[in-house]
Amino acid sequence: MDFELSDEQRAWQAKARKFAKEEIRPVSLERDAIEDPAKTWDWDLFIKGSKLGFRTLAVPKEWGGEGTDFVTQALVMAELARADSAISKSFSQCWKWSHLIAQSCTDEQKERFLKPFLADDTFVLGKGISEYDAGSDNRLPLDDPRAGLKLRAERRGDEWILNGVKAYIANGNIGKLFFIDARTDPTVPLRQGITLFLVPRDTPGFRSGKVFNKSGWRFYQNGEMIFENARVPHANVVGEVNGATRKSGGGGGDTTGGDLFGDLELAANALGICDDACGSALKQMRETRRFEQQLVQLKLNRMHALTEALRSFVMRVACEHDRRIHSPNAGLAMNFSTDAVQEVTELYMDLCGGTPHADKLARDSFIWSHLAGDTVQRLKVARRLAR
Amino acid sequence: MFDLRLSPEQLEIRDTVRDFVAREIRPQALAPARLEAFERPLLAGLLEAASKLGLRTLALPEDAGGAGADALTCCIVTEELAAGDPDIAAVLAHTAALGPLLERGPFLARFLEDDRFHLALAAGVGTAQDGGEWRLDGVATAVPNATVARLFVVRNGSGALLVPRESPGISVREQAGDWYHGSCGEVTFSNCRVPAANSTGAVGSIAPVLPAISLGIGRAAYEAALEYAKVRVQGGKPIIEHQAIAAKLGGIAMRLEVARSAVWRAAWASDHPEAVADRSLPDLSLQAVAEAFAPEAMLRAAKDAAECFGAMGVMRDMPLHKFVRDARICLHS
Repeated sequence: MDFELSDEQRAWQAKARKFAKEEIRPVSLERDAIEDPAKTWDWDLFIKGSKLGFRTLAVPKEWGGEGTDFVTQALVMAELARADSAISKSFSQCWKWSHLIAQSCTDEQKERFLKPFLADDTFVLGKGISEYDAGSDNRLPLDDPRAGLKLRAERRGDEWILNGVKAYIANGNIGKLFFIDARTDPTVPLRQGITLFLVPRDTPGFRSGKVFNKSGWRFYQNGEMIFENARVPHANVVGEVNGATRKSGGGGGDTTGGDLFGDLELAANALGICDDACGSALKQMRETRRFEQQLVQLKLNRMHALTEALRSFVMRVACEHDRRIHSPNAGLAMNFSTDAVQEVTELYMDLCGGTPHADKLARDSFIWSHLAGDTVQRLKVARRLAR
Repeated sequence: MFDLRLSPEQLEIRDTVRDFVAREIRPQALAPARLEAFERPLLAGLLEAASKLGLRTLALPEDAGGAGADALTCCIVTEELAAGDPDIAAVLAHTAALGPLLERGPFLARFLEDDRFHLALAAGVGTAQDGGEWRLDGVATAVPNATVARLFVVRNGSGALLVPRESPGISVREQAGDWYHGSCGEVTFSNCRVPAANSTGAVGSIAPVLPAISLGIGRAAYEAALEYAKVRVQGGKPIIEHQAIAAKLGGIAMRLEVARSAVWRAAWASDHPEAVADRSLPDLSLQAVAEAFAPEAMLRAAKDAAECFGAMGVMRDMPLHKFVRDARICLHS
């Protein structure tokens, strides 16, 4: 059992820490405080990070990416999130889907999509699953064919015609390439009737709708995607027709795109917020000479205990991923990260009050409630335990 | 005798305020454009409308022209108002609580006539007698109602001084940020003088109206989640029929009821000071119990309610994010 990081892992960690401290932190509260949700994004910052490798971190070396392992990815996410959780997620969202391209796309598709992604610092990826009437039903699919996502794709010659609306899609308004889950057979249960398509931004018949105005993670963009007779070539089908769940779920029957990386991502990002809250609280308690109070010490103790427990869990899951050990641990770590990050940020607010920083951490960590720690995400992991 | 029944008057005023909140306050306070905006200025028109209902002068004795409400009634009204808009609830609660001090002084007529005549308690200000006047100097920080008050109450020995806003030597600065309910600011008194006739009796304790604000917030969140859980279908049925959601809603209802019991009991204790002596109540600050318990329980309730809405629970054009934030403000301000 060895907890030591390799030189390469440490180098990435240091690089991320430097970028986070020098570039992300100074603009974090400023971007969060922009009222128009479509204007919080900062391309200059994103391009700087991309040039340092933070956008393409997860693309395998043989395809020209950084080829980092999961441990490195977890370290980098936590470092970036320590400066700003939403900005960290903006980078790692690209890793999530570059993992998917690398695992599930043909060489021809990689040639067409992974190469332009690598070459363009503004090339952002996304995946469209959720719809207004289908959220939990995609995560815990039913046998009833009427349940789950409805966006329809019908074959016409060499093309597929897509009609419908995706809602709450990360990067929906700024992404250049999307993975879109669509119904290709509405007569069968979700698991057997959806296909995954690669949909570039300039696809005819596709347009962005409203930009969602979130209370937390404000930097990270989220939009509505509208498909009106959108034409997608058959060559953009990922894997097999009606086989989306097999491809994106790595055989796990998961239709939410939760590949190996997804669960780890939220847990590692939460760890960054926890580190930020712990560090900020300890510093302020010393500076204001309140550290001597027992209640202060007890709260600091609890914050650090949760944070270190989360760190252990995150690093263990990352390490298991690198060894291709599949277990429900990633899901459990993601669920646990919700409890940890919310309790830690609430204790931080207990100690330091409703400052703009404490308020931001509380709003950012409340995002976990519907992504990582809602009852459906917990049920999903419990069912995996029983399999 | 242990009697939890409300009086006919209490039930009536609760129904009146609840109706006012549903018809007048909620459509404005929870309009998507207002929810999304970063700045939410006080809804001045609604404050005036609430005043016309008698809610500003709620605790003033009836023979002085008020409604003569006791602490329990004030808590009931505050919860109802806060279920629509905690800002309106906070402003009215502070003014109403200080109102009885004006009963026999020179400001009663103005207080009764002017629907915008609000009151604020400025703490930590020095007072000194100077001939037939009192002289005030000092800075009061984080004063609730600072920016809307037409009259400040300043503690003076065992009594208090009533200081009209227009007195020379007073300046008010709104508190930065928005981490408070209602109005808040810093009030500076600099060689400010008021006649000895502005003296009044002791400032009583403000009934547990502040935890009552958190009750209103928690209840609004609960009602929203309950309504949504009955119509939102996932997993083949309305989500309220799933154990996970039903248990969550049950937990919220439980917290709400227990928190309300704590608040009402504290209010009743404040209305019946003799109940400690006759051993009906413990010799313990029930107000502190309510203040510590309710806001924490209501934050948990608001968060659980928001979770029932999935992604919509964090969207700014929906009310849930505001309920969570408002509950946090109750806990941390």
